[in-house]
Amino acid sequence: MTTAVEFLNVSRHFGSIRAVDGVTLNIAEGTFFAMLGPSGSGKTTCLRLISGFEQPTGGQIRIFGQDCIDVPPNRRNVNTVFQDYALFPHMNVRDNVAYGLMVKGVDKRTRLSRADELLALVKLDHHGSRKPGELSGGQRQRVALARALINEPRVLLLDEPLGALDLKLREAMQDELKALQQRLGITFVFVTHDQGEALSMADQVAVFSEGQIAQIGTPAEIYEKPRTRFVADFVGSSNVLSAEMAAGFGGAARPASLRPEAVRIVEEGACVRGRVQALRYLGSGTRVIVAVPGGELSVFVTKGLPVPAQGAEVGLNWDAQAMHPMEQG
Amino acid sequence: MRSDNRPPLILTAGAIAGLLFLHLPILLIFLYAFTTDERTYQFPPPGLTTQWFAVAWNRADIWPPLYLSLRVAALSTVMALILGTLCAAAMARSRFFGRDQISLLIILPIALPGIITGMSLRSAFSIMDVPFSTWTILMGHATFCIVIVFNNAVARFRRLSGSIVEASLDLGANGFQTFRHVILPNLGSALLAGGMLAFALSFDEVIVTTFTAGQQSTLPIWMLNELVRPRQRPVTNVVAIVVFVTTFVPILIAYYLTRGGSETAGGGK
Repeated sequence: MTTAVEFLNVSRHFGSIRAVDGVTLNIAEGTFFAMLGPSGSGKTTCLRLISGFEQPTGGQIRIFGQDCIDVPPNRRNVNTVFQDYALFPHMNVRDNVAYGLMVKGVDKRTRLSRADELLALVKLDHHGSRKPGELSGGQRQRVALARALINEPRVLLLDEPLGALDLKLREAMQDELKALQQRLGITFVFVTHDQGEALSMADQVAVFSEGQIAQIGTPAEIYEKPRTRFVADFVGSSNVLSAEMAAGFGGAARPASLRPEAVRIVEEGACVRGRVQALRYLGSGTRVIVAVPGGELSVFVTKGLPVPAQGAEVGLNWDAQAMHPMEQG
Repeated sequence: MRSDNRPPLILTAGAIAGLLFLHLPILLIFLYAFTTDERTYQFPPPGLTTQWFAVAWNRADIWPPLYLSLRVAALSTVMALILGTLCAAAMARSRFFGRDQISLLIILPIALPGIITGMSLRSAFSIMDVPFSTWTILMGHATFCIVIVFNNAVARFRRLSGSIVEASLDLGANGFQTFRHVILPNLGSALLAGGMLAFALSFDEVIVTTFTAGQQSTLPIWMLNELVRPRQRPVTNVVAIVVFVTTFVPILIAYYLTRGGSETAGGGK
């Protein structure tokens, strides 16, 4: 598989602030790659390093094998969907979408018919003559997408594109983006702080923390085998066990993650016993918070199984391999 | 919706009186352009005539000041458009040490009394041995014209999403194409408004011009001189109508162009 984007020990320091600090990563062609992390973790700076709006202070960046340190943004075959969409307010939707072809000198008829094709692709066929100000947030998002696709980029960069949408629309757009990426087969690099979004859409996820990559892997690897406490905390509502607790439960004396759905409520053969602190009904099941010696554990009880009462004493048990040891930090 | 909290009658009357006080004199100026009496402004005018327009048209001493005023206003507007826009672009796009202070310095000339601007420019010109000419007038006018354009442009820059410039570059446009297709169309009406106001301000400026003009006189200064001697007085009123129209129309257009949104059109002067 060809490598679309390659970072070799890339840094971007702003004075004493290390926005990106020694990042090495490979994005294979045709993958949906998510950069996940809290704000200020360096994920957006990484995206801007790919688009060319930031220059690294150290390391090498290659796009399809080509070193691109000195290539300005307008000469890179990557396009960006901006967080605030950045649509041109004075142009109608068709002209916005056709902009990339216009500046290349493509004649008006060709570029407008191409713009119409892309608008059809994002299901906005009949909105071509409107101005961006007349569109809803979701529609603007689609225009931004169509506009970024018109130059047929080999890599599409998306900077928190769904951040401004409400929940329902966001979920619909997640499905659509994923489908679109599979249909077009181009590489998507997607920046988000929403772990659910990253896990459900991406083929590969890089979790950023303080300018560095905390972990890189498939969503399943990230979710099930978090490498550090930070990843476990950030990616999901996992139980993070201290080294002492892990040792007490028969694991190695290292911090460990334990998924709530791996924990069973049992009568006999319990690893640990505790009192039910709180119950939270989630629809597909119930989250039970159990106070145990040394902390508390979150247990996910699937719908249909008996849910203990609040204040009841319960025994908990899990398979030894469900407890995943992590690095310190 | 019915407005239940009407203002007290006295406030309404006061407001109307205030507005009349401000605007009736202007109407009187118009009226006296048509009077048959050429020496005194007696009320009511003894008779009405349009002969003064013809007289004004044929007076040779009106034309040079008019041309000078138009030339100065046009040139200082062009200068203000270029420099003011560049200033605004710098202030809006980058953050640097002393940015707010520089921004204040740019705006300062409009807050300074014209007489101070005029005196300081005059002494500066004489220290540097710069002879008074159209160019010295122009520089005096540019001090406040730049501010007008700057204020309008900076407000528009602030309202524009900064990433549209990046979006344009991202889509393959070069710097010139970005300016031509993205920045200019979005800045256009703000620049037009700023330019028209600058033109109007420059056209009827008196104080700074008095200090920087030397032997030449612009139209407002010609009028000032003309009022002193009681010969063909209504001609001055005819010229006043011309000045009024040349400055009021651009201001009106500027007002409509920047209406809505938090844009500053006048900026104080």
